[in-house]
Amino acid sequence: MTKTSFWKAGHTPTLFAAFFYFDLSFMVWVILGPLAVQISSDLHLSQAQKGLMVATPLLAGALLRIVMGVLVDHLKPKRAGLIGQVIVMAALLWAWQGVLDSYASMLTLGLLLGFAGAAFAVALPLASRWYPPEHQGTALGIAGAGNSGTAFAALLAPSLAIAFGWQNVFGLCLIPLGIAFIVYMSMAKDAPSSPPPKSMKEYLAVLKDKDAWWFMFFYSVTFGGFSGLASSLAIYFNNQYGLSPVTAGYFTAACVFAGSLVRPLGGRMADRIGGIKTLSIMYAIAAGALFVASIGMGSALSAAAVFVIAMLALGTGNGAVFQLVPQRFRKEIGVMTGMVGMAGGIGGFYLASSLGLSRQITGSYQIGLIVFGSLALVALLGLSSVKNRWRTTWGSAAMTSAKV
Amino acid sequence: MALQLDTGHATRQGLRARNEDFVGMVTPREPGLSNKGFIGAIADGVSGNEGGREASEYAVRGLLADYYATPDTWPVSQAIERVLKASNSWTLHHGAIRPELAGMATTLTALVLRGSFYYFSHVGDTRLYLLRAGVLTRLTSDHVWDRPEMQHVLTRAIGLDTQLTVDHGSGQLHERDVFLLASDGLWAAITQYDLAFHLSQCAQGTLDANACADMLLDAALAGGSSDNLSALVVAVRALPEQNLRDSLSISDQLRPPPKLQVGQMLDGYRVEALIHASAATLLYQVSDAQDVSGAQRKLVLKTLQPDRGNDALERAAFAHEEWLAKRVIARFFPQVIATRQPNYLYYLTTWHAGHSLQQHLDIGHHFTVPEALALGEQLVRAVGALHRRSIIHRDIKPANVHLGLDGQLRLLDLGLAQSGMSEVDARSDAPQAGTPSFLAPEQFNDAPASLRTDLYATGVTLYQMLTRHFPYGEIEPFQRPRFGIPVPPSRYRPELPLWLENVLQKAVARDPQERFETAEEFLLALERAAAKPLPTRGPQPLAQRDPAGLWRAIAIISIVANLLLLYLLALH
Repeated sequence: MTKTSFWKAGHTPTLFAAFFYFDLSFMVWVILGPLAVQISSDLHLSQAQKGLMVATPLLAGALLRIVMGVLVDHLKPKRAGLIGQVIVMAALLWAWQGVLDSYASMLTLGLLLGFAGAAFAVALPLASRWYPPEHQGTALGIAGAGNSGTAFAALLAPSLAIAFGWQNVFGLCLIPLGIAFIVYMSMAKDAPSSPPPKSMKEYLAVLKDKDAWWFMFFYSVTFGGFSGLASSLAIYFNNQYGLSPVTAGYFTAACVFAGSLVRPLGGRMADRIGGIKTLSIMYAIAAGALFVASIGMGSALSAAAVFVIAMLALGTGNGAVFQLVPQRFRKEIGVMTGMVGMAGGIGGFYLASSLGLSRQITGSYQIGLIVFGSLALVALLGLSSVKNRWRTTWGSAAMTSAKV
Repeated sequence: MALQLDTGHATRQGLRARNEDFVGMVTPREPGLSNKGFIGAIADGVSGNEGGREASEYAVRGLLADYYATPDTWPVSQAIERVLKASNSWTLHHGAIRPELAGMATTLTALVLRGSFYYFSHVGDTRLYLLRAGVLTRLTSDHVWDRPEMQHVLTRAIGLDTQLTVDHGSGQLHERDVFLLASDGLWAAITQYDLAFHLSQCAQGTLDANACADMLLDAALAGGSSDNLSALVVAVRALPEQNLRDSLSISDQLRPPPKLQVGQMLDGYRVEALIHASAATLLYQVSDAQDVSGAQRKLVLKTLQPDRGNDALERAAFAHEEWLAKRVIARFFPQVIATRQPNYLYYLTTWHAGHSLQQHLDIGHHFTVPEALALGEQLVRAVGALHRRSIIHRDIKPANVHLGLDGQLRLLDLGLAQSGMSEVDARSDAPQAGTPSFLAPEQFNDAPASLRTDLYATGVTLYQMLTRHFPYGEIEPFQRPRFGIPVPPSRYRPELPLWLENVLQKAVARDPQERFETAEEFLLALERAAAKPLPTRGPQPLAQRDPAGLWRAIAIISIVANLLLLYLLALH
């Protein structure tokens, strides 16, 4: 397993195109978060509306992942990705040139941006199907590094909004998206072989397994925490500490960047010391950090430090969950990736909207953060039940299908 | 459908005064054909006197009879080797004490066809040929001096030397394969072309095996053979449809029973309790309601989970488990009880009052050193009993060690066990099947399970019984742990005697070469105890533990030092 053999094994242009496409899609997916401060002051949105606005793309992305997954099965990944990109670009074009003057129109835009979040379901199979099993982990890791796109959004969007007005930011987004589209069209190629389409029955069958539910919950906490915070932190820093949108964006970017970088580390750690152990540690850290954050830190800097810790733990947890899922669900991996990814998006929707709601009703974020921190503790309990159940013999029938 | 063979043989003394060749074969009925298979053998005796015939006949007859007496669980090569070694010492002994048999020896080539595989063992200059798809291949090489004038002098034969080295080989059977076992009187006097011609007639079915053998001898005689000539021809007419493990199960049509409630009846057995449910199997305690003696003895009924009943892999594994369980007749194992006309897929074993070692640990039982020693000796004996039958358990752990109220330790659950039966087709499957914390370090690098991995698991079980910890920490499923130096058990129990600590450390050593080689060696170390303790192993030097790491570290240090020197040089 040398590096050269990895680069020779699959199709590097496709891998690059998938990464690029995924990265930029994630950037637009969460773009409403950093822009939320400026948008809401123009549209006079309440705290709860703000929360819901940044949460909508997360929910839409989660549900559309399943839809895109079906499209990938029936139309091949490349064409499915093409459709997704055209929809996202059309939505941005509308947002740039059209009239965005109401809460409802923002929610509509949020729904359409969900297609960008669904890129997950396209980019990963597009890249990984080119690679033999022993290299799939690496391929998925490289393509999945596109998570970092969320950080770019937080880093760039607020300053651009000040310079050009927030509506023009959507137009500016079209430039990199257009480049990515051209790269995608010229470089990405469908893998010669593709697995048979998954039926609805398979989705339901896998839900009979108790572990499937637990893993969906685990990911809804780790990825939900990651994406929910990525969308909400700009608002949070602006509200709590009165930071300007640009500075709030920088603070958010720092947190998000930390969380997305450690994802591969989480996979490595799970491999070495065990996925359950890794996740247990990460949930404990994340819950602790969230509880500390809920008390409210004195300064923006110390708050950022606490959120960076939380994001590091959640990001590592993301990697650890996805180290376990393919091994635990060897036969149902295609279906399970979709389900777990969806659960992650739903978790993000819940966190982002509940933070807004908590602020609206109680005047602070405390309740929202405490509830989510408690969810991490519930996940910790779930882990110990899984751990006990897993202390058994792993039969050869279960292990042999590994190689197939 | 079973394996279908057409067999034939011929032997003639030719121009010699005596026929010292001997040919024999056995095609058993089921279940022998599935368990042990067909065996055919040819031997060419040598000696100055009449001992040659004695040696060849004894070797072949002994092999044919004793092969079927070896345990079914042994690999074919092991079974044949064991029998031939016995023949070798007999031949040597009688050649030495009886003047009329002085210097007798014999070549031997044996062929076993079982399931869809062939196995052969060979010593001397008799030959095995295989004709497959019109191509004739010689599978054996002659053990003769490779010099001019010496090509009739055997380097290896039964009765030549106390050390007998036998060649073994195996491969997959195809339909219409034809095997020929030939003595040198035949193969030396016939052309390859004639051999292939006659054998392919047999392969096509235009000639039966007996006639084919006769024609081969005729051709060799016409070719001027002056020696004894013998041929044994085996043509494969049809292969068994299922693989070997499937054919073990006579209850092919049976399905596992639905989930049973307490009090429910099944084939005359009343369900008393559910003992254990795993992902694939269910264990019930049942009582025999139709027992004439009225004793209502308690039994254990093992079956597959109802939803696994159609999974061919699981069914085959279950059949193999039952087949193995029937063959480990020893006090260390629950014994299989014959069922009356089963209507469902299950098998019965004896039930024993008591608890598993895991249950004892869970309720907080403290094992004293003498207790642990006594149990350890029984456990190692049990493992040894399996290993003598060439069975690898693959899942030795406290939960599978049952301590009966009768004081007898029993090893449970042969669900993952492998035997010689599965040597070719299943040996390479899933090295990581088992319970992660009890897998030996090399298994994480995809090394197959072996006797030593079983002994490692035995060591971990003893270690856990005494300390309640694992030597390398608990290992989760799907983890690829890094194995360092095992934690000495005295860290958890300082009162452990040093010799016992050494035994445990040796049993769970990371390097398989440093572990006990056999269960017997392990047992001896436990029995000798303090009287003859194992040497204490000092900490290993880094160069042995991690040579690559050491060199890497040296390289890095030297690079850093050089850069530092360059920097200092640049400063001046």
